[in-house]
Amino acid sequence: MSAPGLGSSPETRPPRSPRDGSPAGAPVLALRDLCVRFSGRPALRDISLDVTRGRIVAVIGPSGCGKTTLLQALNRMNELIPGARTTGSVRFDGVELYRPEIDPVEVRRRIGMVFREATLFPGSVFDNVAFGPQAAGFGGDLHALAEEVLAASGLWSDLGGDPDVPAASLSAGQRQRLCIARALAVRPQILLLDEPTAALDPTATARIGSLIHSLMPHLTIVIATNDVRLAARTSNLTAYLDRGELVEYGPTETLCTNPADPRTESYLTGRIP
Amino acid sequence: MKGFRNHGLIGSVCSFAAAVTLAAAVTPIVILLVQAGGVLDFGFLVGTPSRFAAQAGVGPALAGTLWLTLLTAALACPVGVGAAVYFAEYAPRTRAVQAIESAVSNLAGVPPLVFGVTGLALYVRGLGLGPTVLAGGLTLAMLALPTVVVTSKEAIRQVPAGVRAAAYALGATRWEVLRRQVLPAAAPGILTGVTLALARTAGAAAPLLVIGAASFITYAPATPGDLLVALPTQVFAWSARSQPGFAALAAAAGVVLLALLLVLHLASLALRRRLAGAAR
Repeated sequence: MSAPGLGSSPETRPPRSPRDGSPAGAPVLALRDLCVRFSGRPALRDISLDVTRGRIVAVIGPSGCGKTTLLQALNRMNELIPGARTTGSVRFDGVELYRPEIDPVEVRRRIGMVFREATLFPGSVFDNVAFGPQAAGFGGDLHALAEEVLAASGLWSDLGGDPDVPAASLSAGQRQRLCIARALAVRPQILLLDEPTAALDPTATARIGSLIHSLMPHLTIVIATNDVRLAARTSNLTAYLDRGELVEYGPTETLCTNPADPRTESYLTGRIP
Repeated sequence: MKGFRNHGLIGSVCSFAAAVTLAAAVTPIVILLVQAGGVLDFGFLVGTPSRFAAQAGVGPALAGTLWLTLLTAALACPVGVGAAVYFAEYAPRTRAVQAIESAVSNLAGVPPLVFGVTGLALYVRGLGLGPTVLAGGLTLAMLALPTVVVTSKEAIRQVPAGVRAAAYALGATRWEVLRRQVLPAAAPGILTGVTLALARTAGAAAPLLVIGAASFITYAPATPGDLLVALPTQVFAWSARSQPGFAALAAAAGVVLLALLLVLHLASLALRRRLAGAAR
């Protein structure tokens, strides 16, 4: 396995240890036998994995393997799709997310999501950032919050400190960073990124990559991507999905350099099995 | 004819078709204006119907149509947009719902006359309202409703799915997604539908004739409980009279109706620009 860029240097991959005092070993997300079907057709089969708080987990695999479905199962976005049916268990900080009394709106406020297409809301950059906090009844200083999350996503300096510019005037890379800032404004504990760089050029992709890395150390990130280099550069752990099944899950370096399963190796090396 | 040759054969045929369309649109207006020429003045706008053509005015009919348009908008908009939101956002995608939806769509093509018959039975006689402005407004609201529902539903469905998904993913409730993203984005389209529906009802004579609109009332309706008069039925009444001078009155009342519709469309255009500006 000698794909360029997979070799990691210490400074691009600092250890991300939780700083909020929680036990490092307790998984913030625990999936057991998670299955998702769309109108009877299985999209995910018996997925079981744990995610430790503060880690970045990459989910890789060929198109249609269930990456998006897996991410959307974690914040109950799948149930907005007619015919979707989820079985098995997803525990978030020990709480079963699919219990009937759990409000999916609350789940999505704690587990935020950014999509492949950077769909912005009409209005200004500020309007975009303010939407989530306002929906959650945020009573604090929205402008301070906007500045904080825009700075975290590297947009504050791009905008020259003016969040009132029309969101439509941003470049593709800036739009995706605005989507990340918008998600951060709700102060999620977990951020799901669904192929955030799929529509971006290499420079914008690199910026997203370093942004993902610079986000708060207690934030857990699950990133679905087709970009193996991005996965290798940003993540601590990688899961390889194939046809709705979890083939392999482990430390990114091990999985990328020495995959245990031949299917993973074929995918990583671009060989047709 | 030089321009025709430059476009080639298909281009020429299409240019000719466009010219015919233009002529078809302009000619009636020119004829109306020529016929109405001597009659249209301020006195005509505020005057009341008279046996003497020279003294007749369109005041009560104009006030009646303004009342009717206002009532139709006030009744059909909330119900129509509400139903559209239900169909687009809340209704389960079952066969029964789809059947109801297509029934509503077909209702938009039902002749206005039929709504008049329904209105006569339901409001004039059933509710005992008599041939009043209110009965007319309720009847025209029924006529406007399907158009408002169908166009608003389409406008709501055309809001990109990504906008909804992004809003839900930020922890918004269904109501917040609807109120703060979907409805503002759909507002210009909804407004277009409402304008089309109101233009259709403001010009409808048949249903008002069926429920018993008056053509000779010398006072303008001051409340919805007053007797029904309206511009289209006034045009009809005057055009049916053979005495000299009344044809010009009918044409002039027609011009007033057209001017009213023009104002309606311009107001809608201005409002749509503002809504689209706010949504960008």
